[in-house]
Amino acid sequence: MNGKGGSGISRREFARRAAIASAVSIVPAANLPLDSAVPKAFPSQSPDAPKLSPDNQAEADARYEAILSLYRSRFSDEQKADLYRLCLLAQEPIDRLRTYPLENGDGPALYLKALLEREKKPEVAVTPRTASPAKKP
Amino acid sequence: MPAEEIFYLPLSELAKRIETKKLSPVELTQMYLDRSTKLGPKLNAYARLTPEVALDQAKAAEKEIQHGHYRGPLHGIPYAAKDLLAVKDIPTTWGAKPYAEQVFPYDATVIEHLTRVGAILIGKAAMIELAGGMGYRFASASLQGAAKNPWDTKCWTCGSSSGSGAIVAAGLAAFAIGSETWGSIICPSAFCGVSGLRPTYGRVSRYGAMALAPSMDKIGPLARSAEDCARVFAAIAGHDPKDRSTVPIDKGAFTYSPSLDLKARPLRVGWLSNAWKTLDSSVAKALLAADKVVRKFFGSVRSAALPEGPFEDAANIIIGSECAASFQTLLRSGRVSELTDPLGQIAGYVNQQYSAADYLRANSIREILQKKMDALFESYDVLVAAAQPIPAVPLETNLETDLAFPDPLGAIGNLCGLAALSVPCGFTENNLPVGLQFVGRAGDDFAVIQAARTFQLHTDWHRKHPKLS
Repeated sequence: MNGKGGSGISRREFARRAAIASAVSIVPAANLPLDSAVPKAFPSQSPDAPKLSPDNQAEADARYEAILSLYRSRFSDEQKADLYRLCLLAQEPIDRLRTYPLENGDGPALYLKALLEREKKPEVAVTPRTASPAKKP
Repeated sequence: MPAEEIFYLPLSELAKRIETKKLSPVELTQMYLDRSTKLGPKLNAYARLTPEVALDQAKAAEKEIQHGHYRGPLHGIPYAAKDLLAVKDIPTTWGAKPYAEQVFPYDATVIEHLTRVGAILIGKAAMIELAGGMGYRFASASLQGAAKNPWDTKCWTCGSSSGSGAIVAAGLAAFAIGSETWGSIICPSAFCGVSGLRPTYGRVSRYGAMALAPSMDKIGPLARSAEDCARVFAAIAGHDPKDRSTVPIDKGAFTYSPSLDLKARPLRVGWLSNAWKTLDSSVAKALLAADKVVRKFFGSVRSAALPEGPFEDAANIIIGSECAASFQTLLRSGRVSELTDPLGQIAGYVNQQYSAADYLRANSIREILQKKMDALFESYDVLVAAAQPIPAVPLETNLETDLAFPDPLGAIGNLCGLAALSVPCGFTENNLPVGLQFVGRAGDDFAVIQAARTFQLHTDWHRKHPKLS
């Protein structure tokens, strides 16, 4: 309902993002390219930050780096620390989902609803105008 | 009758007076507009009032009724709509600065339905920015600032239908429309001491509503009683070809009849033992009293337990992923930094990083959960629990740390699209409302309405209202 997505990215940009996404989502930490294993400066965290396994820690770190690789200049140091905290916090829920027993045939609660002729929209009097964020004053 | 009392009359009484021409829709609308102008800003309840629209609609309603064309129980009744529902040519801000000047050239289906039955739109209710989809740490996460609870203006209304809760509790309109993805109708209803219905997913069209998480977003009424919710629900429920998530025509509509026999179907009630880990002592006290009422007036009450599993995690990942998609443009443009809340400015970037595999896995778990809940509803018609484990919190509360208790019932109810209705069931020592929620099987909105109506027939918590000046 919120208008168009407005994604006009180039193939090169798509490939770059796909590489980042796959590094975050699929590649185990041990298989990351060598330079990824070089210690990097992550914001310090409070003592009550979640204690993650090495694999989970690596994935959370990669998630944080993926965000910074795209948007680093947008964040203050304080926001970076908060982002890193959120990346760490996001990891345990993901891990719990992944360890929940599922069978191959357990389908997701998402199914295509074929657009049958009788379901097609009737003529709508007014075509919705795409709403975009208001312009900066 | 004291002048103040008219603002808290139930829909049935307002409708009776309007139908018999003892109450003028124009006068009623003007009274609510005056009260909203006076009290609305003190509570940060409205995004904007719509006096021109309201008075035009009220005059039209009055003319029709004078000519014998009475449309039904909402004809001439003023209401407010959460500011995520499109109203033609009136700004619809979604509570967020980047959309402050957004105007749609059409009405949301819910608005169309309410206009068709003659209801009067007096304003757009304030809300948490983007309905909280980007996360928020403080009650002030709204274009209008923190919504203040009419029972204690130092406390919050809860969100994201924050203005809707304040408006109904303060008697600024006869009812309000809110929305819920996870908790946004049930929590404001509980904190504000009003009745709020979260309909079954797909029962009310979202066409023209802001999308947060399309597989979980629902629209429903907040009102003075379960009966009032039922009247509004009857007007807005139904299949809509413009929202393909709506249920089929034969399952969508809801018919409300005042003569509905409450004893026609003895309800099997499951009192949930694991909805909350702990209850605030004053909430527990109110719940104990509510438990006695339920046991006395419902045929069968047994202890019940929700299934256990990573259901809150699944709900969080589904909402996070879908919200990141819904607001991809905002995130990519960087204008998310214009949101008020410090958490809202950054959390969306983390949500963007969820993988499709994890999102789909969460949805597979969701399907398993749906079957588990369907099996549970073989034994019960409604499940009951506290609507919230605590009363309204102070306005300056850090919600990320101090309102971050587990909520498996909210997660499960919203993941499975279950109907729920929160009703007031008492007050704390500090005179803050406590809510009781009834949750029913998907599609069985009737059961939660019947249960809540039965509860309200034997209690008067819903008739109490705050003293405002």
